[in-house]
Amino acid sequence: MRKQTLSGILGVLAALMIGGIVLALQGFNPFSTYGALLQYSLLSASGLSAMLSRAVPLVLTGLSASIAFGSGLNNLGQPGQLVIGALAATVVGLFVRLPAVALIPLCIAAAMVGGMLWSGLAAGLRRAFAMDEFIVTLMLNFIADYFTLWAITYPLFDPAALSPMTRPIRTYAWLSQVGGINASVLYMVAATVLCWLLMSKGVSGYEWRIMGQNRLFARIGGCRVDAHYVRVMLVTGALAGLAGGLMVMGGPHRFVKGLGANYAWDGVMIAVVANNSIPGTFLYGLLFSMLQQGAIGMELVTAVPSEFIDVLQAIIVLVVVAGRVSLNLMFDRIATRKKLRESLQ
Amino acid sequence: MSVFYGLYSAMLVGATPILLAAIGGAFTYYAGIFNIAMEGMMLVGAFCAVLGSFFLHSWILGIVCSIAGALVMAGIFVLFAVRLHTDEFLTGIALNLFAVGLTTFLLRDIFHVKGAFTDPRIVAIPAVTVPFLGQIPVVGRLVSGYNAIIYVALAVTVVSAYVIFRTSFGLRLRAAGYNAACLNSSGVQTPAIRVWSLILCAICCGLAGAYLSLGSVRLFAENMSAGRGWISLAAVILVSGNPWGVGIISLLFGFFDGLTVFLQGSAIPTQFTAMIPYVATLVSLYFYSVRKRKA
Repeated sequence: MRKQTLSGILGVLAALMIGGIVLALQGFNPFSTYGALLQYSLLSASGLSAMLSRAVPLVLTGLSASIAFGSGLNNLGQPGQLVIGALAATVVGLFVRLPAVALIPLCIAAAMVGGMLWSGLAAGLRRAFAMDEFIVTLMLNFIADYFTLWAITYPLFDPAALSPMTRPIRTYAWLSQVGGINASVLYMVAATVLCWLLMSKGVSGYEWRIMGQNRLFARIGGCRVDAHYVRVMLVTGALAGLAGGLMVMGGPHRFVKGLGANYAWDGVMIAVVANNSIPGTFLYGLLFSMLQQGAIGMELVTAVPSEFIDVLQAIIVLVVVAGRVSLNLMFDRIATRKKLRESLQ
Repeated sequence: MSVFYGLYSAMLVGATPILLAAIGGAFTYYAGIFNIAMEGMMLVGAFCAVLGSFFLHSWILGIVCSIAGALVMAGIFVLFAVRLHTDEFLTGIALNLFAVGLTTFLLRDIFHVKGAFTDPRIVAIPAVTVPFLGQIPVVGRLVSGYNAIIYVALAVTVVSAYVIFRTSFGLRLRAAGYNAACLNSSGVQTPAIRVWSLILCAICCGLAGAYLSLGSVRLFAENMSAGRGWISLAAVILVSGNPWGVGIISLLFGFFDGLTVFLQGSAIPTQFTAMIPYVATLVSLYFYSVRKRKA
């Protein structure tokens, strides 16, 4: 755990340095750029609030990917599960007439069920026909994308809008601001805590992690691998669906074209840098949302295009992941040498 | 008859990038690398092709730049996955993300546009008229007048099948994936073979990228590879890397891709026709899985 933290911090710093060099080569001042990045995310109240809202889909899809990868499943379907969840929440928010007390939980449940449906489809294909979920979830992403685009272009289209989007959902389903922070952030924190409890304290979490490390060992040890497989798929689908639902309910209050596009691979990316740890996913989710939110301000005050952040994120992923492997190798080497010296004496 | 020709040429247009990327993927597949970076290599290739063609006023230099760009991506893959022993899957994911970020950033930084860049000064890859066969009535329309890269793709398929199955390099390549320890003990450096397979993969993906941006169109759009790298990965897995199989599968996907373009004017909403290639991938995966289960 300490090694993880150390290599993570070193990796992020090294990546920021590489990013700084890239900036300097392009003729920008790296210090003022990073300053602006911080200024518009962590260091201002409105920036911080926007950053936390932005973290919601990042952390939730990250948790989904972390739990899936940690359990040895290649669920790469977060983008698809997210938009289907968002669509489900939108439909409930549009057509169900209930007071806020009942409508908000119902919308959230719908979002989770939507995500579960989409990941469950992949799980079902795997169980019934042994189709690899790696490709299935990938392809379902594209299908979900086009399906939701169809839904908001034809049946749910808002006639007053110029581009494909639905009408706004009923105000009872809107998530309010609590102390300047959107309520969706609270759901995100709650989901993170639940996931952490599930993965590090629960029996199923333990079995899932063993499954991730060695499926055969888990099966011989008495885990019901197939049943767990379906459960993990459903849980991770629900998390991604929840991300979509909260995005609609907390943000634009309607399903807008390209809703999940910006977050497509971020969940997978965050899980990868966090090495599937739940607290790590949470922290990296915040880091990436800070970068993405700060990028908007950075573009305002400096000449650096906001797309620079996409490059920086990928550099962080590569450097942190490679750094972790190399550092582990180095630690192992030191430990071996120590052992060797001890045995020689 | 014109419907047939239209569908036929749409099939070739759709199949070519997938075929080239999948042949590249076949090399790494045989070498025992789980390479999912084709998408990113193709995207960077497509961008560099436009870059080269626009500034150097030549489609040949465009292709050279495209291959160079893809090779840089392969270099990063080698550095992380082969040298630093980072997980191949993670490296691939990071590279794909890097490609999307990098090309969008450079699109903004160099051409000062968002979304897509097109310009009359971009030189496209020309179509080729085949000398003698082109004169024959029906056959001529089937074999002549297509984009140069399509013929290159055909040649690449034949050559790669020969290289993989008939040369000593191909034998070593397959051995690297089949039993790396055995190959090492016979005095061949497995990492070197893997690096070569990645270089070949990058060349193929560079060609695929150049075709995307300079072939049927003359523009670069954000994320214009649009999942073709993933489909090509599926194609490689479905036929276990065999170049002939890859060719057939690519034509099949090309057909469905062409069907998408073809059905655009019909009553079916475009969103549903656009799903066809992805659904086709799922259906072929179904047949593959069922067959494999019986075996």
